[in-house]
Amino acid sequence: MDEEHTAGYKEPCAVCAAVDWGISDEGRFYCRSCHNVIERTKEVVDPNFNPGNSRVTAMGRGSRTKRPERGRQWVLCEGFQFILRSQADALVRLGVSPRFKDEVLCELWRSFLQKSRQAYASNPVRPTSVGGPGSDVDSDGAAESTANSSETDGDSCNQSIAGSSSNWSEFSGSLDAVSYLSGSMRTSRQSLLSMKRTLALIHVALVWSREPLTLSDLLRLVNDGHVPYVNAHQELPDEMKLRGKDALLFRVQSIPSHRVVHRDAQALILLLQLPVFPPISRQSLLHPSLLSLRYLMDANLPDELHPWVCRLMERAGMADQTLYTFHLEGCPSLPRYDVQTAALIIVTMKLLFGLDDRTEWELSHQACDQDATGTMFSLRRWFRVVQAALTRAQQRRNQEVAGKQWAAQKLLHPDSQKTSVVLKTKRVTEQVQVCFEKLSGRPVSARRGDPSSFRFFWGDGDSADGPSLHQKKLDGVLTLKDGVPTPSNSTYWHPALSASQMCSRLYSDVEATLPRTFVWLLQLFCFLLDVRPAYLFQEVLKVETRVVNGNSRKRSRKTKTKT
Amino acid sequence: MDDIERELGRDEYSEGDADISDDMSSKRTNSKLPVVNPRHVETQRTSSFQKSTRTCLGLIREALLHHSWQEAAEYMACFAQRLEESRNGPVVQEKELIWRISTEILHHHPNSKMEDYNNIYERMKHSGFKNYLMISLEHSFHLLLNGRVKDARHQLSVAESWRHGNESAIQHKKTELIHAYKGLLDYVMWCDKKSTINHAEYPDRLHNQDMNNLFRAASVNLKAILRSPGVWDPFILSYVEMLEYYDDHEEALRVLNDYAYDNKYPPNPNAHVYLYQYLQRQNAPDKKLMKVLKVLCELVPSHELMLEYSRLLLKSEKRTNIQKALGIILEMLDFACWRSSLDTWKLLEAIIKKLQSQCDWKDSVAGAMAARKDWWPALHFTRFHASRDSEENPALKKVKASLTQILLPGLMLKYTA
Repeated sequence: MDEEHTAGYKEPCAVCAAVDWGISDEGRFYCRSCHNVIERTKEVVDPNFNPGNSRVTAMGRGSRTKRPERGRQWVLCEGFQFILRSQADALVRLGVSPRFKDEVLCELWRSFLQKSRQAYASNPVRPTSVGGPGSDVDSDGAAESTANSSETDGDSCNQSIAGSSSNWSEFSGSLDAVSYLSGSMRTSRQSLLSMKRTLALIHVALVWSREPLTLSDLLRLVNDGHVPYVNAHQELPDEMKLRGKDALLFRVQSIPSHRVVHRDAQALILLLQLPVFPPISRQSLLHPSLLSLRYLMDANLPDELHPWVCRLMERAGMADQTLYTFHLEGCPSLPRYDVQTAALIIVTMKLLFGLDDRTEWELSHQACDQDATGTMFSLRRWFRVVQAALTRAQQRRNQEVAGKQWAAQKLLHPDSQKTSVVLKTKRVTEQVQVCFEKLSGRPVSARRGDPSSFRFFWGDGDSADGPSLHQKKLDGVLTLKDGVPTPSNSTYWHPALSASQMCSRLYSDVEATLPRTFVWLLQLFCFLLDVRPAYLFQEVLKVETRVVNGNSRKRSRKTKTKT
Repeated sequence: MDDIERELGRDEYSEGDADISDDMSSKRTNSKLPVVNPRHVETQRTSSFQKSTRTCLGLIREALLHHSWQEAAEYMACFAQRLEESRNGPVVQEKELIWRISTEILHHHPNSKMEDYNNIYERMKHSGFKNYLMISLEHSFHLLLNGRVKDARHQLSVAESWRHGNESAIQHKKTELIHAYKGLLDYVMWCDKKSTINHAEYPDRLHNQDMNNLFRAASVNLKAILRSPGVWDPFILSYVEMLEYYDDHEEALRVLNDYAYDNKYPPNPNAHVYLYQYLQRQNAPDKKLMKVLKVLCELVPSHELMLEYSRLLLKSEKRTNIQKALGIILEMLDFACWRSSLDTWKLLEAIIKKLQSQCDWKDSVAGAMAARKDWWPALHFTRFHASRDSEENPALKKVKASLTQILLPGLMLKYTA
């Protein structure tokens, strides 16, 4: 540690002629071999220094402020391109195949720019002081290379701007931020670029390349900081200066929710008029038959549940791959793989266990009574184990949310005049933070864990969340009927299902009437996926409609149906 | 919501989604109880940043309530980013929150040092102008409590000269407070100086330059604050002490009289006490003392100075005065705090004795005790009192026993000698 402070000082000691300096407690240099102290001291950062208290003793002559470096001109899509690239790189580092970035994402990005006429078009929308499109740009003039050539793309766009020196905007570092936010762009929503859009693009690319990363996984990685999103603008190269109105586009104060990004992705697909997606077959990891395995493992449910989930899927007519492959005619909405799979699992559990606050506990008592060897799955035990782990995990997540730091190192504020105020506030914040970090002995940013597909770890080790119940048998809830195992529970409840009613009912109203076990199960899966309970509940209702109504459109009230 | 959404005024959430009001649970209750508005209503417009800081604040509050100061310090470090919120409005409250919570944590955390306090106070002072004066005041209080009088005084003098356009006019009351406390600190330093001077060195004590300067500075401020209505006990005491030292009795008397008798000050028994003590020091005649104590008697009949008053009245040998003295002592004994006071009972005995020299003393005593006949036995003369007094204070028991028949003739009391 001393070396870095004394590194520059190479004079031999006056007493013993050795060059071996250290720093004493008072901050003075001393020779380590003979302990001779010299006059030189190390520079100290004094936390008590108050710039606000010092008085000005001399008046300055003229303006001392240097003009900040201009850097080079750049347009917004360049900035977003950089950010998109760094996000894709992060995903590739985490294990996604490079095909996703090189082939899929790149093409999507180019297609988007073309469709929104920001680049690669014969008549691009260009920012000028007069307004209206500017000069032509070489269409597809850039080489068909990978995203590594983003520099050349940018340059080719730049060179064709005539009279560019007059285009410096005082309000933003980029050329077109002001016009971007102006009225003409506002009317055509689809072509707007934003940080949220980058996530939507990545999601579409992931689905296209059939990577097993669902939207909730992506959002979780963003939340934990493994994929750059908050303060991603810090990774832009130095010569692209961000100022003023750029802040509105690049600075984020919240992570978008699942629903919002999904809707954005949907809009994007329609804008880009993509052809049929590569099919999601039963072998692909996004299909519920394989995705449910992952969720069953995460929720500590026994593996034997999986065949039942598949059977339910077939019964509901949801096993078909066309349902999961986006297609403008056949399947015009982007499927929500994670939420649908979770809904399937919930309905399976409802079928097997009843989940009406009575049946499942009775079955569990029976299972415990009959069980001499301890190999039976007992819902009560499962509930206890998972509830404890869930509470702990929710507390941990709460703490992480509280400790998340949103401020960037580089300053970015929409109002350029307020920079001095913002700088001062930043200094104050840092001082207060340092003071308390010193006091508590724990730095603020030391919280990131390793990325993982699973929220919980079930097993026997010390770091496990609880004992693993994956190997338990479901015999307690099954009986043999004609030699075929069927669920012992023969009743099934559901709230009134009707296509038109689903959307207008508020979950918060209905929630009070639902059995507590069911609500708790919803909350468990909502925690795993990080979505709102109402969202998941809607999906459960949809699955139930398919199961109950089948292909006919008959309405059903709150009935008990025999399975 | 992100800035861009606010700027563009887009309302992305109005597309008929059913679960919009998930978080805003519509409490359509029929209860008649007043509904408390929640401090934060979480809507769609809450950004994750705000959620983070709010969760953090909740955790800090829990930590504070459970006295886990280490945890509170950790969360406070995370919470500091709250200051950087770009919008106006909530930030001012947060600054005050951060100031107060930080000082609370520093008070209780085992590792907190003076530098930490100084650091936090300085930072929060300069981070806004609404709280500048109050934080300065608190800072100087803290320094004073830790014995650093000079630093405290320095803080206040810096705060005195603070000007911020309209703001300093709006906060003029706080400025007055600052002036007053600066005066008080000048007085404290004056006291220090007084105690350290050696009389041999400075035979003419009135010409010690430092002390005089301090006195002048202090008196300006103290005089100013004493002009406005309020309760200024420590200030007036210090002012009067300094004036006495410099033999300015006229001014002292004027200030004390104003403080006691001027209606613009809120009624304050201490004012009369100070005036009485001052007059006593100046050896004023008994009549004057009695006049002051008379007012005090009306304000606080159970005051300890009532003993003095009764003694003075007894000394005066006038018949009406003795009657009055009896009334005052009985009023004192109406209060349970004087129940076991030997002096009070002895004085009562003396008064009764004096009264007995007159012929119709029985009537006067009976008249005074008329209203008290019913409840005095339970207050003073039960069997429990008898046993307790004989254990703790036999002299008291003797005095009280001798008075039972006189005060309450005819009643069969359990209080026997």
